[in-house]
Parts: sequence; structure tokens; C-alpha cells
Amino acid sequence: MSGDLRYVLRRLAQLLPAVAGILLITFLIVELSPGDPVTSLAGQSGDAEYYARMRERFGLDQPLHVRLRTYVANVLRGDLGTSYIHGRPALEVVLGRLPATLLLAGTSLVISSFVGVALGVAAAIRSGGLVDTAITTVSLGFYAAPVFWVGLMAMIVFSLRLDLFPVTGMSSLGASEGGLAGVLDIAHHLALPALVLASQEIAAIARLTRSGMIEQLRSDHVRTAVAKGARRLRVVTHHGLRLALLPVITIVGARVGHLLAGAIVVEFVFSWPGIGRLMVTAVGDGNTPVLLSIVLLVAVSVILANLITDLAYGWLDPRIRLRAR
Amino acid sequence: MVQLQRFAALLLVGAMGFALTACDTDDEGSDEQVDEEVDTTQEDDEDDEPRHGGTLRVALSSDPGLLNPAATTSGAVHFATHLMFNGLVDLDENLEPVPELAEEWDVEEDGALYRFHLRDDVVWHDGEPFTSEDVRFSFEEVLLDLHSRTAASVGGALDRIETPDDHTVEFHFDEPYAPLLQQLDVGEAAIVPQHVFEGADSIEEHPGSTEEPVGTGPFRFVSYEPDSEIILERNPDYFEEDLPYLDEVLMRIIPEDASQVAALEAGEIDYLARVPNADRDRLADDPNIEILETFRGAGAVNCPMTMTFNLDRPTLQDVDVRRAIAYAIDREAVVDQVLFGHGLVPEAPLHSGMTWAHPGDLDLPGYDPDQAAQLLEDAGWVLEDGEDVRVAQGVDGVDDGTALEISFLAFPTFSEYGELLRSQLAEVGIDVTVEALEPPAFIERVFTERDFDTNIISFCQGPDPEVGVRRQIASDQIGDTPFSNAAGYENERVDELLDEGLSTVGTDERAEIYREMQEILVDELPYYWITEPIFSVAHTDRCEGFVPFNQYAEAAFCDEE
Repeated sequence: MSGDLRYVLRRLAQLLPAVAGILLITFLIVELSPGDPVTSLAGQSGDAEYYARMRERFGLDQPLHVRLRTYVANVLRGDLGTSYIHGRPALEVVLGRLPATLLLAGTSLVISSFVGVALGVAAAIRSGGLVDTAITTVSLGFYAAPVFWVGLMAMIVFSLRLDLFPVTGMSSLGASEGGLAGVLDIAHHLALPALVLASQEIAAIARLTRSGMIEQLRSDHVRTAVAKGARRLRVVTHHGLRLALLPVITIVGARVGHLLAGAIVVEFVFSWPGIGRLMVTAVGDGNTPVLLSIVLLVAVSVILANLITDLAYGWLDPRIRLRAR
Repeated sequence: MVQLQRFAALLLVGAMGFALTACDTDDEGSDEQVDEEVDTTQEDDEDDEPRHGGTLRVALSSDPGLLNPAATTSGAVHFATHLMFNGLVDLDENLEPVPELAEEWDVEEDGALYRFHLRDDVVWHDGEPFTSEDVRFSFEEVLLDLHSRTAASVGGALDRIETPDDHTVEFHFDEPYAPLLQQLDVGEAAIVPQHVFEGADSIEEHPGSTEEPVGTGPFRFVSYEPDSEIILERNPDYFEEDLPYLDEVLMRIIPEDASQVAALEAGEIDYLARVPNADRDRLADDPNIEILETFRGAGAVNCPMTMTFNLDRPTLQDVDVRRAIAYAIDREAVVDQVLFGHGLVPEAPLHSGMTWAHPGDLDLPGYDPDQAAQLLEDAGWVLEDGEDVRVAQGVDGVDDGTALEISFLAFPTFSEYGELLRSQLAEVGIDVTVEALEPPAFIERVFTERDFDTNIISFCQGPDPEVGVRRQIASDQIGDTPFSNAAGYENERVDELLDEGLSTVGTDERAEIYREMQEILVDELPYYWITEPIFSVAHTDRCEGFVPFNQYAEAAFCDEE
């Protein structure tokens, strides 16, 4: 077995206890915090009998350790429980929302990586110049502004004033077009929320690329390359960028979690039907099975993103060898 | 055309209702109500003839999850599903029952027996005929188990349901039960199909509740994308002749208030059931948008913002202290500043939307800070020179020198009430600490731990006092059940009157009973009623013909775009 493969397997094996721990902590936080899913069902008007009956139905009348034991046993059998609110298996509810979030977060990740790196390089080439100042200032602004606010402003300007993008949803209401028209419709709805979600990431990535590039451009090997008469563009891309990208890759991977957190807000503002919105509702409703299923999915994705980052790191920088120690 | 006449009559009654309400309110309020009257009558213009065809696009503020209005009281489920279902009756603008699935009814045995004669021309969306067995099934297997409001009220009183024939259904009660007719509309008791659910292990998990709802309503189900959209189409076999007009109703789920308003302004939706107060005037100025006003929402009828006094607290056990707090509150200012003027100042414990039970001449304390100060002084809460906060001097159960400090708990969405009341009560030497708590934490503090002095709740009273008022004031409702008797109020006479009101049929007789009850509540003031918020519904002028509740789009029609 090659070292790389063993490394990957070892990392995957570490995933299990990490996920189990995260699930346990979330379970305890949700169960120990105030709130009762029956209140979401009863609204203002359940009487004591109704509460007793519904709690019994969901097994909420059992003591905490019994509920935890039942939950663990069910999870081990692959059953993540039934949503209190939806009358469907929790995992089914969550998986139904996942594609929308993946599309939104994935698009933002791609946009922010490319745009962020490009802006960072542009700023670094003449650091302290006009372009650099402009890029640094604007990206800092976006980095500091709450996503929520950026979203609403973008909506007012680009949707209401300029009428360029739709305000809500993932596709036109009631449109059942397939094929190219359907794809274009989704792309049209995706553009604004993806850009808004990317705005903070672009800022983070641009700033990191810029500082990495500046350091690289001052380094010995770049000076050597310039002295040897290499063309400027080649120096920037081959000698500077490749090394400057290392920390960027780390940050892109590490920001997957952050991106998903931002997606919650963006999904709310743009009525995007993803898991972020589902999660907020589940917290409010005390809908533990749905919440734990979301946490499970997010935890696994973040851990996998970090693993991929580490693999990419080793591939980009031959000095780093991945080893299963 | 019956439906159309009914609709026109509703609008007229509504306009009159608004005009009447306007007479009792201050000048500013009246102007607004009169505007509304004009708006409402414009709906009836000759050139706005209803026509068939067209698509209505509606905003939903949250994902319903379930699509069965009999299995839950969730407002999201109800607003998303009302157009697909019916109740035995509907409630008109004055909350009076009008025929829906039941053509007519007899009340016998002083109100212990209700016999409903059902329409014989109703078919379910899947083509099966609707019968009295569906009604019996809906109550016995669904509503009395899963619909918390109906389970808690009708459930406790009902003896049995009988179905002498396919189109007759009888409700037998142990004792006379007055409020039944107010509890049979689609919100309180939607009728669901027995043939779809029969034999199901779990009603909530059955596809008939989650992905293939079958109703009798004006629109039938086409598709549901969770958290995204719901599509309904015209029910060509609807029992109301000629209705509905629309071909399609498309619903988009838009959770964020600001985005709902933006979608309406951008023309992506045509109907928004709840306009945020802050946006209301701006939308009203938009020539393409019309506003309707109502006290009713899905699952939320007649909801005064109600301040609770925790009667377990020694400080608040003195009625004069409660009275002083009431005198110190300028409710006009609250309506203006918190509701942006879109509400009324309550005149009685029962909401003015319950017209038959609402007296306009009770002696509910109004704004009088001098009176407040005097009452506090006399009660032993004195203001020492140079101090801002009163201290106790010879108050029963309170150590001398204790400062008059009270906590005020509110959901974050209602914390503006707290801030305003805090400054108003500071004027008379009461120090209020406002705590904004998310609903689960609020419920735990108020109903489980009972660790609070005062709070504010949007206590929905429903279409009848029995639906939402009993739970607030009956002595057997003290306990840890959410939204029960928060004050911890006990009065034997009030308990008796509630029971009398429950078992007396006849509006005038009941009004007398509830009047006496309200006089006691005003005397003892376990709660204080701060505002009656008016909800604004907005729609684009492309579409007309709405009633702002239950079957809101049954008679609506839209221009083609």
C-alpha cells in the first residue's frame, strides 16, 4: 500500500470519532437547551393532555440517557430519526435540501478562489500602487460588512433598481422548463446570491494571496529568475504564484465551514431552498433529528474538505510529504 | 353567483365594521380607518369584473413541512393549505358562521346537539364523493388527536359524533356547548378524506399529509418543492358554482420579511399575507399595490398584545400597583411608535374583533401618570427626594427600602414594547428591566420556572372566548403548559362565568355573561391589554377579489401579465 493511500485511510478513520463527538455534543446542546418540539406543533393552544400525548409519541417523556441510547442505537442502524415537523425521515428532509446548498456554496467557492487569487496577484504586482490600494480597501470593506446587509443592498441595487436579477428562489416560480432553458433559469437565480456569498471569501483570499505574492516576489529565487531574464508574466505565474498559493489553498479548504455558515444567511435573504434555512428552522422548532442530520453532513463535508486541502498541499509542494506516522 | 354576492356582502359588512370601529377611536385612527373603507369599496368597482383564467403568485413566510391542516395548528401549514380544504362552515368578517361544506344546521337540546346537513354535490379532488363519514373520521382520527386547539376545546366536551346518513352529521355533547360553530372553519377543523387516510399507522407520516394532499377546496394540489414552492391548480369540480376564477396559484416560500417586500415590489409575487409595519406605508403609496387590513391570520385570530402581571410576586399582588402600571402606560404612543399607527388601543379584555362580546364602555385604565403616581404613593411605594426609583415603605410582604424594580420579558420581535414601556414606567418611578428571550427560553422562564414579574405575549383570543381566553384566566389553567394562565390568576366567579359562557347558547345571553367576566378582569387587572395590532395584507393591483383570511383567493382573479 502506498504511503499516500495509507495516509488517506488513516485520516478517514479519524473522521469517525470526530463525527461521533460532534453529534454527541450537538445532541446534548439541543436536548439540554430550553425548547420543546411540541410547542412548535401546538402553537399557543395545546393543553396539558396534548403535550403529554405528543411527548410520549416522540419519546420525549423518556429521561435524557434513555433518549441518547435510543438515538445512538438508531444511528448505528443508519436511522437518523423522523422529523417532528415534516412527518418524514430526517435524512430524507435534509438530503432534499442539500443540492441547493452545494450549488450555492460550490459556485461561491469557485468564484471566490479565482477572483480572489486574481485580485491578490494584481494587487501584489505593484504593491502600494493605485490598483493595490483600491483592491485592498474594497476587499476589506466586503470582509467587514455583514453578509446579510450586503445581500439586501445587492438585492435593492441589482434586482429592484436595475432589474437584472430575480429576488427570490432558485428558479422562476412555476417554471418547469428542462434542458438549457432550465439551466439558464437556475443560473440567473444563482448569480446574485453566489456573488454575495463569495464577496467575503474573495476578500479573505485576495488579502492572503497578496501578502504571499509580495513575499514571494521579493524572494531569492524570483530575483534569480528576473536576473536570468525570464519574462515578467512567467516570473509571476511560475515562480511567485505557485508558492504563494500554498497558504491560499489552506485557507480555501479551511473556509468551507465558514462558507456554509455564510450560506445560511444568504439562503435566508434570497429564499434559497438549502440546508441553511432548514437548520435555522430546526433550531427554532427543537427538531433534533433534522438538526443532527444537518450537523452530521456539515461535519463530514468540512472534515473531507480539510483532507482534500492537505492532499492538494502535498501535490503542489514537493517539499511536503504526506506520511502516516 | 351566490359566492360573489356573499363576497360583496362581506366587503360591505367589513367596510361598515371598519367605519364603526373608526367612530370609537381617536382622530388619527379614524382617518386611517376611513381610508381603508374607501380602499375596500373600490374592490367592488364595476370595471373590475371577475374573469376566469390567470395565475396568482403568493408568498409563504415559512416552509409548511406538512400539507394537512387538520393535523396541526401551525400557521405555516394552514396558510399553505387552506385553499385546498374546507371546513363545515366558514367565518365571515364578523366571525359569524356561514355555510361551507354544511348547507345548514340545527342546534338542539339547548346546545348539546348540533346537526349539520351537508352539501350533496361535493367531491374530493380525487373524484370520490364527500360524505358525513369524512367529517366523523376527520374529528375522531385527526383533529381531536393532532389539532391542539380543537383537541383542547371541543375534545374535552364532545361525547360522540353520529352519522345518521351520508349527508347528515350530529355532534353530541355531554353538556350544552356554545362555541362549536366558531370552531368549524377550515382553520379550526379542516375536513380531510377518510378514504385516503383509512388504516394509516400515522396520519402525519401518510403521503396524504406530506406529498399528495386531497381536499375539497377551490384549488387542488399539483406539486410541492420543500422550502421552495407549492403549485395549485383550479378545481374544476368545486362546489361553489363558477369558482374559483384563477387557473393556478403558485406559492413561493420567502422566509425573510425584507425579501418578501422586495419580491412584491419586483412583481415576483402578487399577494403578501403579512406586511411588516415598517414597510406598510411605503407599500400603500405604491400605485401598483393595494392594502387590506384584518385582525385575522392563519391560526392567529384576534391577538391583543397582552401584558402579564405575575401574581405570585408580592409587589404585584397589590391591585393598585397593577393599576398604577396601567395608568402609567401611554398606549396611544405604543400604537404610534411600535405599530407605526397600525393598531387600536384596547377598550376591553376581549378583543374588538369579537364584536358581540366586546363592550366599549368598561372602565379600563387609560393614560394618567398623575393617577399612577398617587396610587403608588398610597400603596406605600414612595419616591424619596432626588431619587428616580420608588422604594417600599410599609408594603405587605416587601422589606422597607426595597426598590420598585420589575422585569419585563418579551420575544425579541416584541422587545420594542419593552423599551417604550420601560421609559414610560420610569416616569412614575418604576425601574423596568427588559429581557428579550427567544420563544423556547421565554416559555421556560414564564411557564415552567415562573421567574418573571411582567411580560408581553401576543395572546390570540380566537373567534370565541372559549378558544383562546379561557386558557389565560381559568384557575385550572395554571401550570407549565405554554401559553396558559401566565398571571397565575384565580377567581371563582370568573371560573363560573367561563363555564356559563361555555354552556349558554345565544349571542346576547353570552355577551351578558362575558360582560360580567370582563368587569371583574378590569377590576382585578391580572393582565393589561396594550394594543390590538392590525395586520396588513398587500397585493398587486394585477389581482383583485381577495378576502384577507381563510379562503383568501377563492374568488380572486388576476389580469394576464
